[in-house]
Amino acid sequence: MDLRGTDATVTLQSSAGQLAPSKNEQVQSVEQHALDWWSLAAIAPAIIILLGFLFLFFYGVFQSLTDLKFGRPLVRFIGFTNYEVAIKTQDFWNSVRATMAYACSAVLAEALFGLALAKLFASGVFLARMMRPVILLPLVLPPMSVALMWTTMMDPQNGILNYLLSLIGIGRFAWISDASTAMFSLVLIDIWTYTPFFALIIFAGLQGINDEVREAARVNGAKGWATFLHIELPLIAPYILIAAIFRLIESLNQFDIVFGTTQGGPGDSTSVLSVRAYITAFQNLAFGRGAALMVVNWLIVLLGTLAMVKLWRSVRQRVS
Amino acid sequence: MPRTLAALRGHSAHFARTALICSTLLAGAAAAKAEDINWRQFEGASIVWAYDIHPYADAVAAQLPEFEKLTGIKVTPELYPDDAYWNKLTIQLSTKSPSWDVVGTGIQPAWDLAPGQLLEPLDRYLNDPKLTSASYDYKDFFPALRDALTWEIKGGQIEAGRGQVWAIPHGFENIQLFYRKDILDKHGIKVPTTPPEMSAACEKLKSADPGITPLGVRGVRFWSSIHTAAISIAKSYGVHDFVVKDGKLETGLDSRESIAFHKDYVEMIKKCAAPSFANDNWYQVVDGINSGRTAMAIDSNMFGFWNNVAGKPASGKIAFAPPLRAPNGKNFESNIWIWSLAMNAASQKKGAAWLFIQWATSKQVELNGAVAGKLVNSPRASTWSDKVWLDYAAKPEFTNFVDTFKSVQDRAALAFTPRVGFAEAMNAWAVAMQKMVNGADVKATLTDLASEIRSSM
Repeated sequence: MDLRGTDATVTLQSSAGQLAPSKNEQVQSVEQHALDWWSLAAIAPAIIILLGFLFLFFYGVFQSLTDLKFGRPLVRFIGFTNYEVAIKTQDFWNSVRATMAYACSAVLAEALFGLALAKLFASGVFLARMMRPVILLPLVLPPMSVALMWTTMMDPQNGILNYLLSLIGIGRFAWISDASTAMFSLVLIDIWTYTPFFALIIFAGLQGINDEVREAARVNGAKGWATFLHIELPLIAPYILIAAIFRLIESLNQFDIVFGTTQGGPGDSTSVLSVRAYITAFQNLAFGRGAALMVVNWLIVLLGTLAMVKLWRSVRQRVS
Repeated sequence: MPRTLAALRGHSAHFARTALICSTLLAGAAAAKAEDINWRQFEGASIVWAYDIHPYADAVAAQLPEFEKLTGIKVTPELYPDDAYWNKLTIQLSTKSPSWDVVGTGIQPAWDLAPGQLLEPLDRYLNDPKLTSASYDYKDFFPALRDALTWEIKGGQIEAGRGQVWAIPHGFENIQLFYRKDILDKHGIKVPTTPPEMSAACEKLKSADPGITPLGVRGVRFWSSIHTAAISIAKSYGVHDFVVKDGKLETGLDSRESIAFHKDYVEMIKKCAAPSFANDNWYQVVDGINSGRTAMAIDSNMFGFWNNVAGKPASGKIAFAPPLRAPNGKNFESNIWIWSLAMNAASQKKGAAWLFIQWATSKQVELNGAVAGKLVNSPRASTWSDKVWLDYAAKPEFTNFVDTFKSVQDRAALAFTPRVGFAEAMNAWAVAMQKMVNGADVKATLTDLASEIRSSM
């Protein structure tokens, strides 16, 4: 077999092809052009749906610039008045603080507990393996059911939590009924509900680490804690951060747990922005002002998410 | 509400005879069948009736088979817990959803809903002889209740007293103090009449039995907390939610009287109410009285009645008294709440919906509901002069229900100023109340509350 000859032929054909497009390619090019229209038609519904979503979003933003309210015969465009009025009140800043405090403390605690649980699951201990499916139960409960369940348990007089505390000699705790303890109690409910989410993702990250890396660390004399801190933790950091991004978005928007337990009270102690917006719009029937609060909430979510994504990218680059 | 009681008393002799005859002759659906409208004109229609989970709803729901047999209209009741219901009602109506045809409401929420044309005015149905039976007798409803549900909308605001009918009453409530006789007797406590007296009684009760909640009061962050105990007692201190100053409507919640009331009320709540006050709605208040965990309650009168019914654990143990009054006040005051049936303006089955409203608020259904121990505060004069009902309500297990009802009803009145924006202002008041109970300065909180209400007027 004359390999050289074959190669030469291939090379010549390739060169000729580069000099002038063949007839076939011309046809192909025309076909490709025609295929673009088909592609466009295929994705058109998605584009329409996307535009629909965007329209609703911008309609909401537009509403926040009006004095839309029930009983008003005319709706007027009032610019940023709703925002100006809101930021001048102490209650608004309380809500911003409550939103941030709730989300940041819940996400941080969930990341820590999730990490501990994931590590436990990865240990392969029999009990840990048994616990794996059970620990996911809170995640599959509807958040409003979770809220109602915890409201009953946290009743300061008849709730089971205070009964359990009494067994170990601890007196009555106010839980969600006192302004000083309500936020802590809500964060506790969030932690119970969503820690399994972190545990699941971090566990997946731990499973992805090659055993040879751990073995190499061990050969170099690293003990268990040092291996975890210097080898495993940096490798699973992107996983922790990706879970944190999802949870931060949800926590900053959290409504069900807060509304289902305290409705934002006592006083304004747990009045996060989403709950304040809902009450303003649907209980007080001031839709314009409610929409403005939602836009502020959206901006906070957007900024928080962008910051987290940036952090995630830099961590991932370092790991790579 | 003197007019209401006058109606109660004045009509009693006349109605006793008439209603006795009516209740005997017009049993069940026979009354409707004999009337001049065609009850089957919307046969085959199916409507949805939304309401609070409430014994008043149970009273109507229990009689639904009669209605369906009479009209051929299928009614699906959708019942929701109290605070969830109000939120859902606003959303359903404000989105102009036709999925609910008939809704339960009070006057105050209807003030906010009517101007947006979310409720259907009912005059044209009432005045249509093809749609309303001659025996329906709209004038049989107590005049004060009819007046309260009639208003016109001018410039987006409520002008009460005349105009269109926005809903039909089918049960009302006045605010009273009711208490566990067994608990107060055991500890030798006299029924308190003022907030300071109540505070003292609570301290005595707490020291005698720390396991008992002395007083059950609603405290949730919603206007329903205000419209029961708070507004009734506040009114006796001379507090007004709104006042007219220099020809302009102005809030009265930062007045001298209001500060005096709130100081006493907040003190009383701190000493008397359950630690879960901020989360307590009427369900918790009623459960407390029923189970004997709570010694006294200030809320709608029929909660005491329902738990006195024979067979209930608290039967015969609950007694009634007027609501608390200001220490230097001459009289107590009692707010009224009127459970009413209204029509969703977006309903696509308005004819069938009207037949249901008409039937559910008819003399017979009201009387049946009352005698069943559910619809115990009937808005119809004919029920209150009906021997069957009066004999039933005067049974020993209901202690002094009828007598107290009559004396309280003498002074019972709608304590709020009719206006659009009721929910916003009263929700803000409920939040302010929680803040004060949690230790915020009374005067400063009321100043903030007043300025918040002014900014939205």
